[in-house]
Amino acid sequence: MVTETPIGKIRSDDDPRVLLDEQIGSFEPVPPYPPRTERESEFYTLGDGEMFLNMGPQHPSTHGVLRVVLKISGENVVDLDPVLGYLHRGVEKLCENSDYHHIISQVDPLEYVSSLFCEWSPVMAFEKLLDVEVPRRAEYIRVLTGELLRVASHALFQGWMALDLGGLTPILYSFIERDEIVEMLASITGQRMLFNYFRIGGVNGDVNHEFMSRLGDWMSRAAKQHETSIGLLNENEIFVRRMRDIGRLDRDLALRMAVTGPNLRAAGVPYDLRRAHPYSVYPELEFDIPVRGTGPEGGDALDRYLLRLEEVKQSLRIIDQCLHNMPDGPVMAKLPRLLRPRPGRAWAAIEGPRGLYGTYAISDGTDQPFRMKIHDPSFVHLQLVVQLMRGNLIADTMAVMASLDPIMGGVDK
Amino acid sequence: MTHDDPGAARDLGTGPDDATQMGSDQPGQHPGVLVAAEPRDVQAPIVVPNLLWTSPNAGAYAGGAVPYNHLKDIRTHDPEALEPTRWGALDVVPTKADYITDLIRMNSLWPLLSGLACCAIEMMSAATSKNDMDRWGMFPFRASPRQADVLIVAGTLTTKMAGPLVRLWEQMPDPKWCVAMGDCTCSGGRYKRSYSTIEGIDRVIPVDVYVPGCPPRPEGLIYGMMKLGQLVKDRRGHWPERAVGPNVPADV
Repeated sequence: MVTETPIGKIRSDDDPRVLLDEQIGSFEPVPPYPPRTERESEFYTLGDGEMFLNMGPQHPSTHGVLRVVLKISGENVVDLDPVLGYLHRGVEKLCENSDYHHIISQVDPLEYVSSLFCEWSPVMAFEKLLDVEVPRRAEYIRVLTGELLRVASHALFQGWMALDLGGLTPILYSFIERDEIVEMLASITGQRMLFNYFRIGGVNGDVNHEFMSRLGDWMSRAAKQHETSIGLLNENEIFVRRMRDIGRLDRDLALRMAVTGPNLRAAGVPYDLRRAHPYSVYPELEFDIPVRGTGPEGGDALDRYLLRLEEVKQSLRIIDQCLHNMPDGPVMAKLPRLLRPRPGRAWAAIEGPRGLYGTYAISDGTDQPFRMKIHDPSFVHLQLVVQLMRGNLIADTMAVMASLDPIMGGVDK
Repeated sequence: MTHDDPGAARDLGTGPDDATQMGSDQPGQHPGVLVAAEPRDVQAPIVVPNLLWTSPNAGAYAGGAVPYNHLKDIRTHDPEALEPTRWGALDVVPTKADYITDLIRMNSLWPLLSGLACCAIEMMSAATSKNDMDRWGMFPFRASPRQADVLIVAGTLTTKMAGPLVRLWEQMPDPKWCVAMGDCTCSGGRYKRSYSTIEGIDRVIPVDVYVPGCPPRPEGLIYGMMKLGQLVKDRRGHWPERAVGPNVPADV
């Protein structure tokens, strides 16, 4: 049985594999169905002198497969409509059909630049459901590896930011830093990117000699490398003048749109989950929370860029303290192989490099969660693009989008 | 054994009853069965004496089809092929330009800049300073499909992205090749059970090299691209005959 749908023919009702025919190949900015909402009919009605411009989903400078339909008038963007779902992999549904240990590997590829943070919040939620106490050494290892990955993520952000503005060199320096960090983490986790390292009640393995020697080697020159990468771009007048005064985000809009993480702190709100709702061993560690854009106008793209560079310095401070304060002891709590939490619900949130990662899990007493909701900061931040881009130039679209630093794996889940 | 012999996969231990519907198990599509080009009629070569220099290795002037299918066979069966001047200073000009053009193609594979998900980061890592793909002529990631030779599908292919990706593939000019990078593109990987992913891109695009791993290391991708270079040389002239896996109807 073949069913006709707006996107093409579907072979049968129970077979989700879409037969590709010519319809799906033709790529018009306007959707092939009548407008379903008021917003859609408003957006897809052209005014005088306006036209649509399709950008993506395969585009060299998007952070993944995002498609944006721009409504332009000359060089100015009148309105834009991000079209999501090109990387929707159904992670939440898969998690509800996996047991609790298996879920860690399913949520890993959500934000593939900082995958440990995607593991962290589900693991914390399940620990709340099971009422497990995590050994202190395991908590220190989590913080240590997490902050390392935050440095890698912000390093990549810096490279991508420059790449989206047309500068090719900084990405080469970013990847040197990122490759060193992920190779270091690979010596304890066995993987370079999707680590699958955190476990419910601890971490998969203790730190080993190779990791510590690589880390010590890297720490001895990390601060200097960071200064070098700052000098690459921050003194570049073209870069600074290009980034200044685009995509201004003020305090009110940021709070209204539920922005978190560096984007919120660059709008003048000193809110960091590591201080506001302390978790793990963060209360014992000393670090500052950098804030920019405290004026009435809020922060622009340059503020968001500079704030992430300052966060890297704080992460290096945390790593240093973790190495000095790490206690001895086990890295896993004693837990049965098959986990059956009592019926209940739990919410856990952590501060990732992009903002608040949260997990809301409902247990019904079986070995699989009844419902698992993943809150991802990239999805929230992508909504801002519409607010920030109206009236700007087409060429600034990618600069503003890059300064918000969304990762499409997390947006589409 | 030709490329369309239905019994070709039997050598790998699969009987006729074990035949599966996977595209990669079909004759001529199995990555383990690299089928060399059938010798075709070659006109008499034009001999131009090379007066400047002559290779000491007589095998450098053997001509004809390449007698090996795999990289390892170069060392075991045909040590003469290691002679670097084999395709170098020729004093015999082949009348078929395929040999020379394929040599040029395999040494400058230009990929299309298209990343889908996680593997794209490792693909970028393979292109940057530490693992420098440029050393093997694979670097310039072209942003336009019109200028690209190789489509590296890096990351999970969802049903919504399949249409645009196939369109990209169709826009690339022949000859073109496809590398499936990562478990998701080889077979579905960790998202095989999902309702919205395509279980292996060989359902929509003919794949030449599969690079498994979740994600594969950058070295793995570079090795896959080097195998693709070998394929370009071995299966020359057979590219238009490739078919998509049997799960997709012929009119796609």
